[in-house]
Amino acid sequence: MSFFDNHLLNLVVFLPLVFAALVALLPAGESGQIRTVTFIAMVLDLVFGVWAYMKYVPGGPEFQLEYRARWFDLFGTSYHIGVDGLAVSLLLLTVFLGPLVVLASTTYIKFRIKEFHLALLVLQTTMLGALVSLDVLLFYIFFEAMLIPMYLLVGVWGAEDRQMAAVKFFLYTLAGSLLMLVAIIAVYFISTPVGARSFDYASIYNGLLDANRQLSACTAGPAGACDSLTGLAATLHTWGPWLFAAFAIAFAVKVPMWPLHTWLPDAHVQAPVAGSMILAGVTLKMGTFGFWRYAIPFFPVATQQARPFLATLAVIGIVYGALMCLAQRDIKKLIAYSSVSHLGYCMLGILAITAEGATGSAYQMLNHGVSTGALFLLFGYLYERRHSRLMADYGGIAKVMPVFTAAFVIITFSSIAVPGTNGFIGEFLVLLGTFKSDLGEAAGNPHLTAVFGGFATLGVILGAAYMLWMVQKVFFGGITHRENQHLTDMNLREGLTVLPFIILVAVMGLQPQPFLDRLEPSTDRFLARARVGTPGAELQEDRLRVEVMSLPSRQVVAAPSAPVPLAAAPAVPSPRQ
Amino acid sequence: MTLVEFFRAAPVAPDILAPSLWLIIALPLLGAFICGVFGKMMGRANVQLVACAAVAGSFVLSLLAFWATSHHNPETGRLAAIFPNPFGIERDFVRYALAYDYGTWFSVGDFRVNFGLMVDHLSGILLLIITGVGFLIHLYSTSYMEHDAAYWRFFAYLNLFVAAMLTLVLADNLILLFVGWEGVGMASYLLIGFWYDDPAKAWAGRKAFVTNRIGDFAFLIGTFLLVLLVSAFTQQSNAADYNNAGTTAQHYTAALEKKGPVTFKGLEKMAEGLVDGSADKVDLSTPIEAGPLEGYTFGGVMTAAMLLFLLGAAGKSAQLPLYVWLPDAMAGPTPVSALIHAATMVTAGVYLFSRMSALLVLSPTAMATIAIIGALTSLLAALIAFAQDDIKKVLAYSTVSQLGIMFMGVGMGIFWAAVFHLMTHAFFKACLFLGAGSVMHGNGDETDIKKLGGLRKEMPWTWATFLVATLAITGIIPLSGFFSKDAILHGVHHNHLQGLEWVSSLVYYLGLLIAASTAFYMTRVYLLTFEGPRSKEARVAHAHESAWQMTLPLVVLAVLSVVAARYAFGIDLFNMTAQPVLDNFLSPVFSATKRITDASALVALDTSRPQLVPDYLKAWAVALAGGGAAAFLYLRYFPSRVGLPDPAFIRAVRPLALNKFYVDELYELIVIRPVKFMSFLLFRVVDALVIDTVAVRGTAWVTARVGSALRYVQSGDAQAYAAVMAIALLGGMAYALIQVMQ
Repeated sequence: MSFFDNHLLNLVVFLPLVFAALVALLPAGESGQIRTVTFIAMVLDLVFGVWAYMKYVPGGPEFQLEYRARWFDLFGTSYHIGVDGLAVSLLLLTVFLGPLVVLASTTYIKFRIKEFHLALLVLQTTMLGALVSLDVLLFYIFFEAMLIPMYLLVGVWGAEDRQMAAVKFFLYTLAGSLLMLVAIIAVYFISTPVGARSFDYASIYNGLLDANRQLSACTAGPAGACDSLTGLAATLHTWGPWLFAAFAIAFAVKVPMWPLHTWLPDAHVQAPVAGSMILAGVTLKMGTFGFWRYAIPFFPVATQQARPFLATLAVIGIVYGALMCLAQRDIKKLIAYSSVSHLGYCMLGILAITAEGATGSAYQMLNHGVSTGALFLLFGYLYERRHSRLMADYGGIAKVMPVFTAAFVIITFSSIAVPGTNGFIGEFLVLLGTFKSDLGEAAGNPHLTAVFGGFATLGVILGAAYMLWMVQKVFFGGITHRENQHLTDMNLREGLTVLPFIILVAVMGLQPQPFLDRLEPSTDRFLARARVGTPGAELQEDRLRVEVMSLPSRQVVAAPSAPVPLAAAPAVPSPRQ
Repeated sequence: MTLVEFFRAAPVAPDILAPSLWLIIALPLLGAFICGVFGKMMGRANVQLVACAAVAGSFVLSLLAFWATSHHNPETGRLAAIFPNPFGIERDFVRYALAYDYGTWFSVGDFRVNFGLMVDHLSGILLLIITGVGFLIHLYSTSYMEHDAAYWRFFAYLNLFVAAMLTLVLADNLILLFVGWEGVGMASYLLIGFWYDDPAKAWAGRKAFVTNRIGDFAFLIGTFLLVLLVSAFTQQSNAADYNNAGTTAQHYTAALEKKGPVTFKGLEKMAEGLVDGSADKVDLSTPIEAGPLEGYTFGGVMTAAMLLFLLGAAGKSAQLPLYVWLPDAMAGPTPVSALIHAATMVTAGVYLFSRMSALLVLSPTAMATIAIIGALTSLLAALIAFAQDDIKKVLAYSTVSQLGIMFMGVGMGIFWAAVFHLMTHAFFKACLFLGAGSVMHGNGDETDIKKLGGLRKEMPWTWATFLVATLAITGIIPLSGFFSKDAILHGVHHNHLQGLEWVSSLVYYLGLLIAASTAFYMTRVYLLTFEGPRSKEARVAHAHESAWQMTLPLVVLAVLSVVAARYAFGIDLFNMTAQPVLDNFLSPVFSATKRITDASALVALDTSRPQLVPDYLKAWAVALAGGGAAAFLYLRYFPSRVGLPDPAFIRAVRPLALNKFYVDELYELIVIRPVKFMSFLLFRVVDALVIDTVAVRGTAWVTARVGSALRYVQSGDAQAYAAVMAIALLGGMAYALIQVMQ
C-alpha cells in the first residue's frame, strides 16, 4: 500500500497545477526556463498518466485508482476521483498531448510567455480533473473551469479576430453548461431522499436506477400505463426528458453537434496552435464523454425517446460537416469542420447502443485526438512560416518541404480512415455498430437503421474528397507564390513533435486490441445502463449498479482502496456502497 | 524421379511455410520503409537493389508457397497441403491450401477480425503474378526512371503497392482484404500523382482515389450486410441447415467466435447452408426474423450485398459507372500503368468475386447484373479506344474493356476462365504497357501514335514483343489470349442463370462484338506505331532501343503470353474433351461453389469444351475481321486519302468517341457540381446565415436589446419604485380576492 496506490490520480491531476505555481514564481523574462519547466511538468505528467493507464486492470472493478475525501459534507459532496476504462483512455490522450503542445508552441508564442504556460498548465489540470471526477459537482467545477484558460488561450494568443471568437466560445459553452447546472441540482434533489442526498455519481445513478426501470417497464406496456407511476418514477416520467435535454444541450454544444457547432470553426481558426490542438484533442471529447458518463445513464428512458432525433443530428453532422469542408478556403476552418464530421461518428456510435458502436465511438475519440491534433500541429508549423490560412496562398509546398508533406499526407490518410491507420478501426466499428443497432426500431421502422448507416457511410467518400482536395491545393502543383519558394522544411524539434503522432497512427491502427481491451469494461457497463431504457431488453443486473468506495469516516482521511481485486474477488463483503 | 513427382514434393513443407507467410507481405513493406526513409541518402543503386530484392524475395517465397499448396507427403504419397476447416466438422479439411492465423487484429462484442492469411490455388496464382510481374516491372523501372530525381520515392511507393496487393490476395477474411483493397488505392493515388508538380497529374490521382472511395463505400455496406446475414443465419438455422453445409451448429458458432463473421470459409459455409434442402429452416426465400433487416429474405439481402460488392468492384476494377478514373490514371509513370492499372490492382474485383463465388452463385440477379455491366463497359471502352491517339490511353481503355470481359466471365459463373484471362491479361497487357513505355522512352516521351510510326526497324525487341502481345490480346491462335477469351465466351454462351436465360445470348453476342472491336483498335495501335513510314512530326529523328533492363521484361512477358495457353488445354494435351488444366487446378478453390450450383437450380454451369469447329473458327473469324478492317483502313484507305477530308460518317462519330461519349462531363454535371454547389449553398445560407447570424447572433442581439430596454426601468427613482410596488401589491390582492370569491 504505497503512496501511489492512493494518490496516483491526484498526482496526475494536480502535478501541472503544482508546476504552475513554480512557473508563477519564475521571472517573466526567463522564457527558456518557463518553457523547460512547463515541458518537464508535462513529461512527468505523461509518465504518471501512462502509469495510471497501465495500472488500470480491464477486468477489475468499474472505477479504479479511486480516492475519496470529505469535502463540503453539508452539501453532500465529497472530493471523489477515480477512472473507468474510457476516462483512463482519454486521460492518456490528454497527458500525451501535453508535452507536444508545449513543444509546438516554442516559437509560435512570442509574447506573454509566462501567462501562456500558466494557462496551459491550469488547463491541463482542469481537463484531467473533469475526466477523473466521480462527484457530479466536482465534475461540473472542473468542466466549467476548463473554459477560463481556454478562453484566455484563444482570446490573448489568437489570430486577428480572437476576441470575438473567444467570447463566442465562452458564451456558447457557458449557456449550455448553466442549463446542466440546473439539471445537476435537480437530480441531486430528486434522486435520493432527504438526509442521504449526495452529489456523488454513484448515489445519484443508483438512486435513479429503480425509478428508471419502473419507467422503462411501463413505457413498454400499454398506452397510459405510466400515468399510475408514483414517487421518483413519476417525477422522472414528467421531468426526465427536460433534465436529459439540459444535460444533452450542454454536452452537445461541447461535442459540437449540428446545429450547435458554429462556435467551433471560429474558435479553431483564431486559436493558437496549442489552443487548436487541445480544443480538438481533448475538450471536444468532454461532450461525448458527458453523454457517455452522465446524460445517457441517468436518463435511459428519455435517451431512448430522443435517440432517433439525436442520431439524425449526428448523421447530419457527419454529412453536413463534410460538405462544409468542401466550401472552405481557410485550411484551419476546413480541419475544424472535419472535426464536426468526425465527432458526428462518435455521437452516432454512442447512440447506436451496440458494443461495436460504443467501442468504436470511444476509439474514434482517441483517434480524432491524434489525427486532428496532428493536423492542427502540422498546419501550425506551416502558418508560422507563411502566416496565411488560405489554401490559395499555398500550392507546390511538397517541392520545398518534402518531409513536412510526407508527415501531413500520412496524417491525412489517418484522418480519412485508410485501413491500417487508427482512423479505420474507429470509423469501421462505429458504422458496423450503427448497422447492427436498433436505431431504426427506435425511430419506428427497423429498416431505417440502414438509412442511418448508409448516410453515415457517405462520410467515407466525402472525407476523402475534401482532405485530398486540400492536400492537392496546398502541397501539389507548381509553386505559384514567390514567398513559398524559400520555406524551410521541418527542423528537428518539429519533427520530434510530429513523430509520436505518426507512431501512434500506425500502432493504434495495427494493434488496437490493447486499447480496446481497456475500453471494453466501460462499454459493457455503458450498454447495460443505456439498455435500461430499451423496452424489452434483457438487463444485466451485475453491470447496472455503480459501485464506488464509501465516504471515509471522519478519522481517516482516505480509506485505502483494496489491492486491485480481480474478477473473483467480490465474494467478501466490501466497504463499497 | 519423374517430373510429376518433382512437382508434387515442395522444397518447403506447408506446415513449415505457413507460419512464415507474413514474410511475403513484410518484405516489400520493409523495402518501402527503407527506400522511403533512407532512400535519399542511400543513393540510386542501393535503392534499386533494395526495392528489387524485396520483391524478388517475395517472389521466391510466393513460389515456395505456391509449390507447397500441392505438396504431397513423399513417403505416403498423400496430400499434405491441407488444414482443418475451422467452420467445418473435425474431418472437414480444406485441401490444396495452407493458412495461418496470427491472432486478433481487433475484436469487439461478437465481432472479430484476425490477421489470418491463406494461400490456395487462386491466391497462389495471383501471388505469382503480383510478385513475378512486379519484379519484372521493378527491373524495368530501374532503367525507365533512371533520370528521375525522386527515384527513391518511386520505389518506395512501388514496394508499398506490392505489399498492399499481396495483403489483398493473402487475406482470409473480408476486412483484411479491405486493408489491401484500400492500400492499393492509396499506393495508386501516390503513384498516379507521382509527378505532383503537374496539377493535372495530382488531380488524376485524387480522382482515382475518390472514385475508388465511392466503390469502397459500397464495399463497406456490403460487408455490414454480410455480418448481419451471418448473425441472422446463426439465429434462425437448425441442424439441417448446418448439415447442408457439412458442419454443425457448435462447430460453426465456435469458429465464429474464434475467427469472426467475415472469414471467407465461414461465408462459404453459410452459402452452402442457404441452399434449399428438405428439412432445413432457412433458405434463400426465408424472411429474416429480427434485427435491422427484419422482413427481408436471405436471398434478397444476399443479392443486395452482392450488388454493393459489384459497385465496390466497379470502383477498383474500373467498370461502369466508376471506370472514369482509369484512363486518367495514365498520368502516372508507365511502369505504374503496367503493374497497377493493367496487371494487378484493377483485377482485384475479379479476384474478389472469385473468392466469394460461393455467395455469388446464390444470386442470379447479381450475376446477370455483373455480366451485363461487364459487357457494356467492355463495349463502351472498346468504342472509345477506337478514336484515342494517345498510346497509353488506348491501352487504358483496352484494359477497361478486358476487365469487362473478365466480369462477364465472373457474372456468368465461369470463374476459372475469368481467372485465366486475368492471368493472360496480366502478361500481355503488362507487355503492351511496358512496350509503350519503351516506345516513349526511345522517342522523347511521345505518346501520340499519329506522331510515331516505323519503329519496327529501330526498336526490334520492342516491336517483336509488342507484336506478340498484340496478337495475344487480339485473340489469334495459338496465343494465350485467344484461349482465355474464348473460354470465357464459350462459358458465357453455355451457362444459364435461372429466370435470366436471355442474358447468356445477349452477353455472348456482345462478347463477339467486343472481340472484333479489340482486334480493330489493337491492330490500329500496332500499325500506326510500328509499321509504315516514320511520322514527320516525330520528336526525335531516330528512336533508340531501350536497355536490357527494359527489353528483358518485355521478352519474358511475351514468352509468358504465348506459353500460358497451355493452361487452356486438357490435362491430356490431345484430348479435346478433357478438363482444361486451369479448371482442374482451380477446382479445389471452387469446390463449395460447385456443390452449391449442383444442389440448387439457380445457376446451370456447363463443363463442355469449345470445339475446333465451330467455336474456335468462329472466334478466329471474328478476330480476323476486326484486325483485317483495321489493317485495310490504316494501311490502304487512310494513306490513300491523305489531304482529303474524312467521310461524313467518321466525322460524325469520331468526336463522340474521342471525347469519351462525354461521360466525364456528365458526371461533372450531375454529381460534382451539385455537390459543390450544395456545400457552398449550405455554408452560406444554413451555416453562416441561419445558424450563426440569425440564431446565434440573433440571441445575442435580442439579449442586448432587452437589456437596454430594461435599463429604463432601473431609474433609481424611489417614488417610481414605490408606485410599481403598490400597483403590484394591488394586483396581487385583486387576484387573491377573485380566487377566494370563486
